[in-house]
Amino acid sequence: MQRLEKYTLIITEKPDAASRIAEALGNNGEARKFTENGVPYYEAHRDKKLIVVPALGHLYTVAAKKKKPLENPILDYAWVPRYEAERNPSRIKTWLQVIAKLGEEADSFIDACDYDIEGSIIGYCILKYTCGNRENEAKRMKYSTLTKEELEKSYDELMPQLDFNLINAGLARHEVDWLYGINLSRALTAAAKKAGNQYITLSTGRVQGPTLKFLALRERNIASFVPNPYWTLKAKIDFGDNVLEANHERIFEVEAEAKATATHCKSRNGKITRIEKRQFRQNPPFPFDLSSLQVEAYRLFKIAPKQTSSAAQKLYLDALISYPRTSSQKLPAQIGYQKILKNLAKIREYTLLAGELLAKDHLKPNEGKKTDSAHPAIYPTGKKPAKPLVGAEKSIYDLVVRRFLSTFGDSALRQTSKVILEIGGQNFTLSGMQTLKQGWLQFYGSLGILRENPLPSMNEGDEVSVKKIRPEGEFTEPPPRYNPSSLLRKMDQENVGTKATRAGILQTLYERKYIHGERITVTELGFEVTDVLRKYCPSIASVEFTRRLEEKMSEIQQGKENKSGVIAEAVEILKPVIASLKENEKPIGEKLFRAGRQATLEERIIGECPTCHSGKLIITHSKRTGKRFVGCSNYFKGTCKTAFPLPQRGFVKPTNKSCKECGWMTVLVWPKGKRPWNLCLNPQCSQKRRSIKK
Amino acid sequence: MSCKVCNRAVIEEGFCEWHLLAYRNLTDRFPVWQKAMEITWKDYLSQIAENSSAGNWVKEVAKYLIEKGENTNVGKS
Repeated sequence: MQRLEKYTLIITEKPDAASRIAEALGNNGEARKFTENGVPYYEAHRDKKLIVVPALGHLYTVAAKKKKPLENPILDYAWVPRYEAERNPSRIKTWLQVIAKLGEEADSFIDACDYDIEGSIIGYCILKYTCGNRENEAKRMKYSTLTKEELEKSYDELMPQLDFNLINAGLARHEVDWLYGINLSRALTAAAKKAGNQYITLSTGRVQGPTLKFLALRERNIASFVPNPYWTLKAKIDFGDNVLEANHERIFEVEAEAKATATHCKSRNGKITRIEKRQFRQNPPFPFDLSSLQVEAYRLFKIAPKQTSSAAQKLYLDALISYPRTSSQKLPAQIGYQKILKNLAKIREYTLLAGELLAKDHLKPNEGKKTDSAHPAIYPTGKKPAKPLVGAEKSIYDLVVRRFLSTFGDSALRQTSKVILEIGGQNFTLSGMQTLKQGWLQFYGSLGILRENPLPSMNEGDEVSVKKIRPEGEFTEPPPRYNPSSLLRKMDQENVGTKATRAGILQTLYERKYIHGERITVTELGFEVTDVLRKYCPSIASVEFTRRLEEKMSEIQQGKENKSGVIAEAVEILKPVIASLKENEKPIGEKLFRAGRQATLEERIIGECPTCHSGKLIITHSKRTGKRFVGCSNYFKGTCKTAFPLPQRGFVKPTNKSCKECGWMTVLVWPKGKRPWNLCLNPQCSQKRRSIKK
Repeated sequence: MSCKVCNRAVIEEGFCEWHLLAYRNLTDRFPVWQKAMEITWKDYLSQIAENSSAGNWVKEVAKYLIEKGENTNVGKS
């Protein structure tokens, strides 16, 4: 690396962004790619020579200063390169060496990482620690899309310095989260290890604790729910060519009363006594912020929040959509509505829809209240994808485009109809719903299909013939389980975590075996961790506590609070909590160890034993040969000898699904480097015989 | 001492915290069922044990009470 000419070193967050920025800033879109020890960087020429080098996301992290023995609690920490703190640092050491070398020859620096808390910390750490305290002289590029036009504008109008308020807020968040995470998780893990002499990975933290608490509270309400019986009366009526179902206006709490009313109304004709119609406007949706995008992607496509986040990030790096980690629901006019629509009109799928909006006299999006000082809401840049999109990226891109178009649409006009029928002196109702004017719904396409249940044309005084009346027994339902989408919404409403961290927290809860399933169920281990926090350190699991810290960090961002003061306050809260956990280590450890073992066992349970019906089929190992098999839990007690062989190689886990052919339980077998397949346990299953014949 | 239903620590009436909550909900709701369906305590427990809307802890308590034939302080009809 021999470079005599001085240059500006531009630091980006990811390699894709580096290549795009270099090409956007280079004269005639030209940039030369170099690779040093596997680290790519780009040379471009504009007003002067530019070297654009990417980071690999976070290259630095918070870690304990002292190695061993660690004090309790650990309060002495520093920002260190990730290779010093993590077990699998991959290429980070080389990466930092290359950036440091490039930094030596540079005469000016620009931080071009994403303009948010995480991006600002990435740039700051590299400038401070890798490039030798260049953070105070560096300038900042601020952009929301990776389009050439916006990148050029951002370079021409550089911010004179880094946004230190944003950086301090980010550093404070990382440091407080690290202090809480490491100390609390260590206390729980150590307690469980002491109790069982076995290592179980346990964790909790400032955001994880309250999130698990929401889930545990809901699970508790569901698990202890006793339904109430009630009865509804349904009347099947003939009206012209239509058979309709009307409901009695009342809910019956006593079965005998419902039956008596049904008997009274039987064999009588009905008469329409009143028709009520109400029209209402349904406004276009707001443009997406990250949380609402994740919620909608889950609702429509069942794409997990973390996957949505990754797909959106990829689309952003391809300059197809704006920066996705935003909490804004605003689309400022400066983004250029007309220009985006004109470009979208060049994409076949959106030609007609974009054309329709372009024909409007005035374009005004329907915006929500939420704002973000750094970025607007998520919108498509209008750039045509270079190659056809597939999978989650395709769905997310289409969703972002359609949502963007919809926000400019007119309100939809909907109508509800309520028809009151009198049958034997009792009031029954028919309900209908229909869309009279599509408005924005046409832009949302198949994603915006609403419930349609139009009623036939009816008039007051019309007679209807009653075919059948019957009481139907029903039960009240427990509160619904959270799913990834509704949990993210709840976290957003309660101001727990940030748009960038929520999906990761949810993932951690799954990985720790605190929860399972798409309709989230809390495991015994999840309950016990919540219970420990509730009993021994209630402040940690309190929403109020984490919300107050979030507010403090926002205040740092606004320059109203001081980073060290906020951290000192957080440490003072933490100290007695750790002391309490230490003091009660024995009962805590016993609870957690037992629940941890149970969680591991539950992961291996396939279902009820088909032979003895009292034991459970479990994936286990032979004590004699060490071979893996499925056996009844009563096998070792000697009361049931049911057992099924399993393949000895690859990963095996219960599917919780029955065999389509014979209805027996199945397990998933995933041989290393091969495709996973389902194995039916029934030795007589015809599907199995067929696969053997093949 | 362990809970009558699981092996967690007993809080009151021989039940752990979870099953005690379920047991109390079960006994509190019985009068509603009794008025609605003129049902006996035993039939009530059987229906709850099979009801898809009832919670797991409630079902476990109901099954335990059926198995042990424990007549509680309610609904000895």
